[in-house]
Amino acid sequence: MFSNMIIGRYMPGDSWIHRLDARTKLVLSIAFIFVVFFANNVIGYALAGAFTLLAIMMTGLGVGVFLRGLRPLVLLMLITTLLQLFFVQTGDVLVHWAFIKITTDGVINSVIVFVRFMLIIMFSTILTLTTQPLAVADGMESLLKPFKKFGLPVSELALMLSIALRFVPTLMDEAQSIMNAQRARGVRFNEGSLMARIKSFVPLLIPLFVNAIKRAIELGDAMEARGYRGGDQRTKYRVLTWHTRDTIAIIGFVIFTVALIATRWIM
Amino acid sequence: MVMAINFDQVGFTYQPNTPFATPGLHDVSFEIPEGKFTAVIGHTGSGKSTMVQHLDGLVLPTTGKVTMGNQVVTAETKLKELNEMRAHIGLVFQFPEAQLFEQTVLKDVMFGPKNFGASEEDAQAAAEAALKKVAISPDLYERSPFELSGGQMRRVAIAGVIAMAPDLLILDEPTAGLDPQGQRELMTLFTDLQKERQITVVLITHQMEYVAQYADHVVVFEHGTVVKSGAPATIFADEEWLHEKQLDVPAAKQFADALAEKGIQLHNVLDIDQLADQLAARLNGEVDHV
Repeated sequence: MFSNMIIGRYMPGDSWIHRLDARTKLVLSIAFIFVVFFANNVIGYALAGAFTLLAIMMTGLGVGVFLRGLRPLVLLMLITTLLQLFFVQTGDVLVHWAFIKITTDGVINSVIVFVRFMLIIMFSTILTLTTQPLAVADGMESLLKPFKKFGLPVSELALMLSIALRFVPTLMDEAQSIMNAQRARGVRFNEGSLMARIKSFVPLLIPLFVNAIKRAIELGDAMEARGYRGGDQRTKYRVLTWHTRDTIAIIGFVIFTVALIATRWIM
Repeated sequence: MVMAINFDQVGFTYQPNTPFATPGLHDVSFEIPEGKFTAVIGHTGSGKSTMVQHLDGLVLPTTGKVTMGNQVVTAETKLKELNEMRAHIGLVFQFPEAQLFEQTVLKDVMFGPKNFGASEEDAQAAAEAALKKVAISPDLYERSPFELSGGQMRRVAIAGVIAMAPDLLILDEPTAGLDPQGQRELMTLFTDLQKERQITVVLITHQMEYVAQYADHVVVFEHGTVVKSGAPATIFADEEWLHEKQLDVPAAKQFADALAEKGIQLHNVLDIDQLADQLAARLNGEVDHV
C-alpha cells in the first residue's frame, strides 16, 4: 500500500536538475508557489505550464512519474476545485437547481485553482524526486542560518529533519511488515465499514509507535555514546557548493518570472 | 484440511509498472510435502521471504500459480478467498514480537482466533493452551506484553500464531536473536507441535544444524528461484555445490568428514545425535551397522 507513494521519494539520476544545489531547488520551489499567482490569463498559465514541463523534461525521469505522483492528492484537489465551483456565486448563472448555483466565475475559478494546484505539486515534486532528502535538510540548514542570530536552533532543527527523513523508509518497511503480520492474524485492512477500517489500524499503529520510540531512544544513546554535540563547531561531511549551473537556474527562473508578470498586460 | 503446497512457475515482481519495479521471484516451481517439516534455505535476498508471503496470500504471484490444498492462488485471486485461506495458516515472521499490541498478554494471543471467528470462550481456551505450550506462566496473562522480557515477548507472539491452530505453520527465522537455550526450546516446541498435530511446517533458516536435525525436506533458493530440493541427506551430500551457493554444511557432518579424512568412516551423519551415537558405538568397540 505504501509502495505507490511517489511524493517525497528520491529517484537517482544524473540530469542537470539532479546536479543543481539543493538550496537552488529549495528556493526556486518555494518561489514558484508565489510566482504562479502572477498568472492571470490563459497565456500566463500556458507559460507557467510550459516552464514546469521544461523542468520536468530536464530531470530525465519522464512525465509519467510526475503524473503518478499526483494520484494520492487527487482527492484534495477535487475537493478544493468543487468548493470553488459551488461557493463562488458571482458572474452569470449557468445552473440553478435547488440550493446549487453554478456560475461562470465559479467555473473559471475552479479551473484556475485546479491548474495552480497541479503546477505547484508538479514543481515541488521535481525537488523531492531529484534531491536526496539529506541534501534537502542540509540546504534548509544553510538557508536558515541567518535566523540563528534570532535564537532559532537551526542545527538542531536540521538534525531533527534529517533524522526524520532518514527514518521514513525504515518506518515504511516496518509498517509493511507489521501489517503483514497482522493480516496473517486475520486483520482486514481497507475492508468493511469506516469504523472497522479505523479500528483495523490500531494493531498497526501501536507496535509502530512503540518501535519508533524505542528506536529513538537507542539512537539518542548511540549519539551520546559517540559524543555528539550540535552547534557551530560541527563540520560537514557533505559540503554544499554553488556552481555556475545554479546561477544559470536562478537567472532562468527570474526571466520566467518577469515574462509571467509581462503576460498580465498582454490580454 | 489438506495442505500440500505446490508452486507452479511462480514469478513475482515488486511494484510492477513503476520505475521501482524489481523482480522478486522467477520460475519458482517446487512442492512442500503435506504433514512434513520442510526447511527453506538460501542466501539473504534469495527470495525466501518473498516466497513465504505467497504462502499466506499476503502477496499474489505476478505470473504462475500456487496451489495450497484445494485453493489455487493466482494473480486474480479474490481477497475473500485469501481471508478464508489465512484462517488455516499460521505465519511467524522474523522478530514476531513487533506484532504485539494488545493491553494484556492473553488478549493479544486471543486476537488471531477471534479475527477468524472464534467465540470469546473458544479464543480464550485456545490462547491459554497456546501460552502453556510456549511456557508462559498464568500470572503473566494479565500483564502488558510490553512489560515482558525480549524472550517472553517472542514466545507470546508465537503463542498468538499457534492459538489459531493452523494446518500450515510457517516460521521465518523464528529463533533469530535468542540465546542458545531459548533457541533450543523453541525448536523443540515446533517439532513437538508438528508431530502432535500432524501439521505442515515450513522453516526458513540460516542454521544448517536445524535443517539436519529437524527437516524432512529441504528447498534451496538462490537469486529468486529454487535451485534444488530434496531430503537433507541429498542436499548436504554435495559439499562443493553448497560452498558454491555460500551455504554451510552442518557442523556434525563437517566433523564426520574431518574424521573420514583421518580414516574413520561414519555413515549418514547429519546431526549431533547421530554423530554422538556412532562415536559412542565406536568407542565401545561395537561394530557400526548403520
